[in-house]
Amino acid sequence: MKIKDVVIIGMMSAIMVAIQVAMAVLPLPNVELISLLIIVFTLVFGYKTLYIIYIFVLLEGFIYGFHLWWINYLYVWTILFIVTILFRRKSSPLFWAIVSGVYGLSFGALCSIPYFLTGGIPTGLAYWVSGIPFDIIHAISNFLVALILLRPIYKLLNILYIE
Amino acid sequence: MNNKKNYTKSILAVVIFAALIIVLGLVYNQFKPKAVKGSKEVTIEIIIPEEETKEYTLFTDADYLRQALDEEQLIEGSDSEYGFFITGVNGREADGAKEEWWCITKDGEDVFTGVDETPIQDGDKFELTLMIGF
Repeated sequence: MKIKDVVIIGMMSAIMVAIQVAMAVLPLPNVELISLLIIVFTLVFGYKTLYIIYIFVLLEGFIYGFHLWWINYLYVWTILFIVTILFRRKSSPLFWAIVSGVYGLSFGALCSIPYFLTGGIPTGLAYWVSGIPFDIIHAISNFLVALILLRPIYKLLNILYIE
Repeated sequence: MNNKKNYTKSILAVVIFAALIIVLGLVYNQFKPKAVKGSKEVTIEIIIPEEETKEYTLFTDADYLRQALDEEQLIEGSDSEYGFFITGVNGREADGAKEEWWCITKDGEDVFTGVDETPIQDGDKFELTLMIGF
């Protein structure tokens, strides 16, 4: 791995953590930029994004504590990374806005997996259903955020990375 | 031609996305956690002279009357050294200048405990009466 890549991984991880912590202060549940950043990072940096994701996840654990939600973080962002890698040739902001929106919509279902495994089907279902209003907010905000910000961030990072 | 095709695809994708949101909303509406009724049924009668008596049926798990009334936001008042002093019931304030005050009775009998300390049981009936004259 080149020194440039190490620097980029460190910087992008730091940006993700800083944005997450800053947005957690806002009274807007489930409105986040992490999904957008993972999509853009994957489109620009490819597999190096996995390093960024797991440094971000580790730092989140240090900040907020290693609880059950942290287990979710070990796989939820990687799923978005895999989806993005699969469709990486797509360039339409609308396409990525819908991917990000559907991901937001399924976020609660993905996060409920540990609850299904530890508490059985009723616990998992109860966890998922009670979070649906937040998933809907997540879906709509992810869709709008990606539709508006994906192209400018992608262009900026692409120019900086290539040059 | 290609542009038109792409435009149609985009519209379709957005419509499917919106439909998914609606479906999930319906799933939530169908299976959302239902509020559980309290296990005690308590009847509250609000008696104001020269007005129609109102009756409310409360379902509560509260141990004491105040908590049950607070749950339904039926009373207003203030804490004093003698306990909670009811100043208003169901939006009707007792006017101290006219010597109005709220009296609590249970099945028509005087209650000798404050609203904070009056225990409630399933089937109890309380009356909150606006009295005039100290």
